[in-house]
Amino acid sequence: MDRRDALAKMFGAKGVRVNTNRGEAYYEKLRRTMEKRLNELRQTPAATKMDIQKALDAEGLSRRDFMKWASAITAMLMLPASFTPLVAEAAELMNRVPVIWIELQDCAGNSEAILRSDSPTIDELILETIDLEFNETLMAAAGYQAEAHLDEAMKTFKDKYLCVVEGSVPVGVGKEWCTIGAKGETFEEHLLRVAGDSAAVVAVGTCATFGGVPAAAPNPTGAVGVQDIVKGKPIINIPACPANPANITGTIIHFVLTGQIPELDHLNRPKFAFGYRIHDNCERRAHFDAGEFVEEWGDEGAQNNWCLYKMGCKGPMTFNNCSIVRYNSGTNWPIGAGHGCIGCSEPQFWDKYAYERPMADAHIKAPTGGVEKSVDQFGLGLLTAAGVGIAIHAAVSATAGKKDEE
Amino acid sequence: MKAGYKKVKRMTTFMRINHWVVAICMVAAVITGLYIGHPYYQTLIAEPAVDKYVMAWNRWVHLMAAIIFDVSSIVIAYLYFFSRFEKPILKLLPTPKNIVEFFAVFLNLITFNRVKKFDSSHADSFNTVYFLIFHLLLVWMLFTGLQLYVQGLESGHSSIGDWWPALLHWATDWTVAFTGGTNMDVRYWHHMSMYFIIVWVMFHIYYQVWRTIYWQEGDIAIAFGGSKFAKEK
Ligand code: HEM
Ligand code: SF4
Repeated sequence: MDRRDALAKMFGAKGVRVNTNRGEAYYEKLRRTMEKRLNELRQTPAATKMDIQKALDAEGLSRRDFMKWASAITAMLMLPASFTPLVAEAAELMNRVPVIWIELQDCAGNSEAILRSDSPTIDELILETIDLEFNETLMAAAGYQAEAHLDEAMKTFKDKYLCVVEGSVPVGVGKEWCTIGAKGETFEEHLLRVAGDSAAVVAVGTCATFGGVPAAAPNPTGAVGVQDIVKGKPIINIPACPANPANITGTIIHFVLTGQIPELDHLNRPKFAFGYRIHDNCERRAHFDAGEFVEEWGDEGAQNNWCLYKMGCKGPMTFNNCSIVRYNSGTNWPIGAGHGCIGCSEPQFWDKYAYERPMADAHIKAPTGGVEKSVDQFGLGLLTAAGVGIAIHAAVSATAGKKDEE
Repeated sequence: MKAGYKKVKRMTTFMRINHWVVAICMVAAVITGLYIGHPYYQTLIAEPAVDKYVMAWNRWVHLMAAIIFDVSSIVIAYLYFFSRFEKPILKLLPTPKNIVEFFAVFLNLITFNRVKKFDSSHADSFNTVYFLIFHLLLVWMLFTGLQLYVQGLESGHSSIGDWWPALLHWATDWTVAFTGGTNMDVRYWHHMSMYFIIVWVMFHIYYQVWRTIYWQEGDIAIAFGGSKFAKEK
């Protein structure tokens, strides 16, 4: 981060609170915007034959399941319950929202998280119905054919499509290792081109948002996040490794409904999803307060679902809603499964959060870049040095010092 | 009183109370802070969840010590400028007189009291600068500590009103960018700075004892009785 950004951030950061009580007038106006927007969308032709009704039928899900889901999403977006029908309608119109999904330096884990479930959740089905114009992982086309399709989609939906990005952008010495397409565009060029004509950019997963694992020390490719490269476009960050499909859907639905991006925190993450600290909504929190910690995998504490803080849980420093919405339709989440949080939705998480011990015990590079020490080892070194200095001064004072006369 | 000595007042009652309150809070903050960073005694052996809030109590004590620091720091900052007893700011301004005095006292320390060319009856510039370092360290602990604290108030509400978390965000969010860009960096520096404070305390205690022994003016009594004795010229 350069100095100017740092200074701007200094006093610019804001809390993560979302005001959920803005009065009748505000919500009435919002409803009218949304209705107008949905009307416009309904006029445009559906880009895919897939629609949510078909997807639900194919999975044997009922209208009732769908409406239950819609009310959950309404609550997640912090809208009053009366907005549920609008949210349901937006979901039905998802096949009219053009999306171009590009993939950069990553493991495709976010795509995988959405696609690979044997019983897809409604969130995942919604993402299946969007008008996905381009996606390297999914499409059949390759080479020039794929590129021609991308160009066409970008032209047809200029300034209308959402550019979803998965993966980090290498900009360091190794950036030429990563090229894409038949013309050998670097990832950076590819991103700038596709993001340039989009309505908004959605960075999905921690690699795309903050550089993620590829950016971990020593960051051989000089990986950075989308927001470090793309300027002058609305950018929404949906970090986590992988990003929660519920948060991706929520963000896209918000965009469909309002044509605007949701309220963001200082890291450009939607507040509706990242306005919660894991630790404050964790089911093991009572054990934290009681001082009951798992000390070792499989011990008495682990069998009793005690707090994972001493196993390196970073819930106290991590903002995300996994402890509330969980993953896979609320089936479970890492801490529920017995492993601490690794802070995957925070910047630099691999270097600064993902070690399996409390921060106080972790070996962290000295500020000089030298030997790795834990903060307590460094501190004890400091105390020893001070003690030795004092002892020498005391000894010399005693032998060679001069005491004032009484 | 021994002939040839005069009694000089060095600390008011308030200053002495503050001194010992801060000292006690410091010990409490270190003990509980280390527990928060790495819970070092275990509660496996204790009874089931009846009245057993070991971490909660540690955090409570830590935050109580913290709030006392908060208040004390504000008062001390005020006294730097407006004390009716001795305004420390007057000893901190880099005037030629203060600079000379600072080095004269420092020279006294490194010559093991063989050279002593200053008036040791009043608060000197060296001591005042040394205390300024402490107060800056404490303020730093306050900013980083309050940032860690406000992270738990993400609802934007608190029992004393919404202004409190809003104020804390405004006043401390810069520490995140300043320490390295993540919440963890703030925590790391909060923990690390504790050691600088402990080093400060070690030398502080040593120096007060050393002065008492070598200057023979009963300096250590200042913290208890408020005064020391100085030789009459
Ligand atoms: C100068 C005295 C202080 C010392 C020595 C001290 C020390 C510590 C230490 C070692 C930790 C553990 C960090 C870690 O390894 O994770 C800690 C945590 C913390 N400290 Fe302090 N601290 C001091 C003052 C303060 C102040 C003034 C505040 C202001 C509110 C504060 C608030 C906190 C908070 C909120 C935490 C994290 C607690 C949690 O997440 O449960 N501390 N402190
Ligand atoms: S398991 Fe992690 S998030 Fe849950 S209470 Fe313990 S430290 Fe907090």
